[in-house]
Amino acid sequence: MPSETPFQINIPDEKLRILRAKLELATFPDELQDIGWRHGAPLADMKRLVERWKNGYDWRKYEKELNQELPMFTRDIDVDGFGALNIHYVHKKSETVDAIPLLFCHGWPGSFIEIRGMLPLLTASSPKHPSFHVVALSLPGFGFSEGAHKPGFGLDQYAEVAHKLMISLGYNEYVTEGGDWGFLVTRRMAAKYGGKHVKAWHTNFPMADPPTWKSPLSFLSYLLTPYSAEEKAGLERTAWYRNKSSGYFVEQSTFPQTLAYGFTDSPVALLGWFYEKLVIWTDDYKWTDDEALTWISIYWFSRAGPGAAHRIYSEVYGDFYNLGRTSYPTIPMGASYFPKELLLLPSAWLRRLNNVVIESHHKSGGHFAAYERPEELTEDVRKMFAKGGPAFAVVPGKSGYA
Amino acid sequence: MSSETPFQIDIPDEKFTILRAKLELASFPNELEDAGWKYGAPLADIKRLTERWKIGYDWRKYEKEINEQLPMFTRDIDVDGFGALNIHYVHKKSETVDAIPLLFCHGWPGSFLEVGKILPFLTSSAPEHPSFHVVALSLPGFGFSEAPHKQGFAIDQYAEVAHKLMLALGYNEYGTHGGDWGSLITRRMASVYGGRHLKAWHTNSPLAKPPSWRSPLFFLSFLLTPWSTEEKAGIERTTWFHTKGQGYYNEQSTQPQTLGYSLADSPVGLLAWIYEKLVLWTDNYNWSDDEVLTWISLYWFSRDGPAASLRIYFELRSDCEDLGQSPTIPMGASFFPKELIVLPAAWLRKSHNVVFESHHKTGGHFAATEAPEQLVQDIRKMFAKGGPAFAIVPGRTGYA
Repeated sequence: MPSETPFQINIPDEKLRILRAKLELATFPDELQDIGWRHGAPLADMKRLVERWKNGYDWRKYEKELNQELPMFTRDIDVDGFGALNIHYVHKKSETVDAIPLLFCHGWPGSFIEIRGMLPLLTASSPKHPSFHVVALSLPGFGFSEGAHKPGFGLDQYAEVAHKLMISLGYNEYVTEGGDWGFLVTRRMAAKYGGKHVKAWHTNFPMADPPTWKSPLSFLSYLLTPYSAEEKAGLERTAWYRNKSSGYFVEQSTFPQTLAYGFTDSPVALLGWFYEKLVIWTDDYKWTDDEALTWISIYWFSRAGPGAAHRIYSEVYGDFYNLGRTSYPTIPMGASYFPKELLLLPSAWLRRLNNVVIESHHKSGGHFAAYERPEELTEDVRKMFAKGGPAFAVVPGKSGYA
Repeated sequence: MSSETPFQIDIPDEKFTILRAKLELASFPNELEDAGWKYGAPLADIKRLTERWKIGYDWRKYEKEINEQLPMFTRDIDVDGFGALNIHYVHKKSETVDAIPLLFCHGWPGSFLEVGKILPFLTSSAPEHPSFHVVALSLPGFGFSEAPHKQGFAIDQYAEVAHKLMLALGYNEYGTHGGDWGSLITRRMASVYGGRHLKAWHTNSPLAKPPSWRSPLFFLSFLLTPWSTEEKAGIERTTWFHTKGQGYYNEQSTQPQTLGYSLADSPVGLLAWIYEKLVLWTDNYNWSDDEVLTWISLYWFSRDGPAASLRIYFELRSDCEDLGQSPTIPMGASFFPKELIVLPAAWLRKSHNVVFESHHKTGGHFAATEAPEQLVQDIRKMFAKGGPAFAIVPGRTGYA
């Protein structure tokens, strides 16, 4: 197997000093009476978090934990037309030699950290369930991966990076798990490299197109079938997201550079923008202050800077339904539905256009499912690839069992 | 006339110390190669402006100029359900005793400063044109006006503040000019106070609903009439604004506090956020660095901070989306090609009592700054002897 360059996070002291200096100067807006979360993160939360970040939050402690828990590496991946980008990734092999190679792909405002709950579970060996060799990359521009330097780095390029990473690690055939941008990237991978390399794909962020009059029978059934209570709730959640929670999306996909100035100059700006999502996109997840600060510090200390990651929105510009649209993959797909996901559409819509071989519907959990519900999501992935499961032995010679 | 409390801008030194300290620590993102304006304000511009703001830009000089050129005051205005808000405004009377009282209403990211270039012209006396007594308020939450402290301060409340200010100054009957939020607010005033108090209203940001099949003849004519070159350009501009220019609006109208944390903590973030609009929303206007920095300093040093100014988007979102009933009082509209929403004039005429319109070949969203002479001309023409709104305010023709 080709050699890997081990990587340990080691943020220079200077960067910590600058962060501290900026936090010392933090200035806050006022707040309307009794506003709660209606306009964004409440002022009391923000003040408390900034205070903690300034005094008490120990980045070195969490840096050490990440270094110990997650075996990390970097390697150059050459991208057609863009040159080589140095990619940061987690790579942990199972003790089961024939474990299934699995690529985990995060989104925004997530990162490689989202694998930490699932990593020990997916790689664990047992006769009762399949095991996986796990690769969790930092997408270009995120975490400690280099970002693209010129315009045009779109979905094909993100997919190319992830695919070439798996190939370079000796995983010629593999499966994927993705959410948020990770869904779009792995869907493009499944379309482009599916069959030959990507054998099956699983997601916790299933996006589907509504039936249109172009498929009359589907459309008719869509009009006539009453929605279940779960589907109604899902559509309401989707409408809420579209109407009330997608301002970030429109700005990030039109003027990402304008936003980048605030994020790069002010940790408070970054905290406000990101913390809001951590709370309202999850299902009542009890973030500790340090946990939230670690997620956001990863952006603050990221290799490409806090202004780079969200360029993905403008580079893959399109409206919600066209976003990253491609010919639909035909390889087996697994979908997990969590009730506080952002786009929750009737599962029939997904089945209509994708080769959905397994799906599960959960009663709790939100957008960051791998982080919020690692056991449940691991169960779902295991079931898909288990003996007797719909994607058993889909990677020849790597059944996931001893 | 009730007494006025004079106001001079005098930003405390402490605020400078904080601003300077933050600018000293400024950190910048990188930029994609050859990005130009494609993704927002270019890095070179923001770096240059930040450097100037830190060293060289002299706020005290511009503060003094504003204090000298714009006679300013404050007074408490009571708003039903919200208590008294202390309102900052410019008030300059013409030497012509019977000048027409005119309220000038700004928007975002504008301010009372926008009246600066047109003020001397509007108030000047001459037999050839009408004169005006001008009142230019800072909307609540902007400039040096107090911001509301609780939710629900919506379009009726903004209209109420502006109207009560005019009454408090003894202007029982008056005209208005507004752009951006100022247009929507004065439009609301025209509906609520029109006829009795507000006699005629003028705007450089005219808005109208598109023709609907409910008015079949108009809709048919809309379908059949080919667009003029000007109208085509207007539709292109409007389409650009709808597809590419809605990010700030979406965020500000849904999560204003989230953005507020950024604008309140980072002068560089505030600079970028507003500067981008100053360039994209104007028609090649040659902003000097100091002019830009003065606009942005006003937001940075504003009485209730830059975050407060965003809340108008959240509270008035539904009024933006549904124009509702049109006012019936006489309206004047100035069309500038680089305004953000540029609709065919026929749509406006269909639903409003348009007595005056003008179509300009240059100029954008900040008409009072970019094209002050043209704007003054338009307002004068509307109210001039022989004009469609002449002597509409009884006893105040605007002439000696």
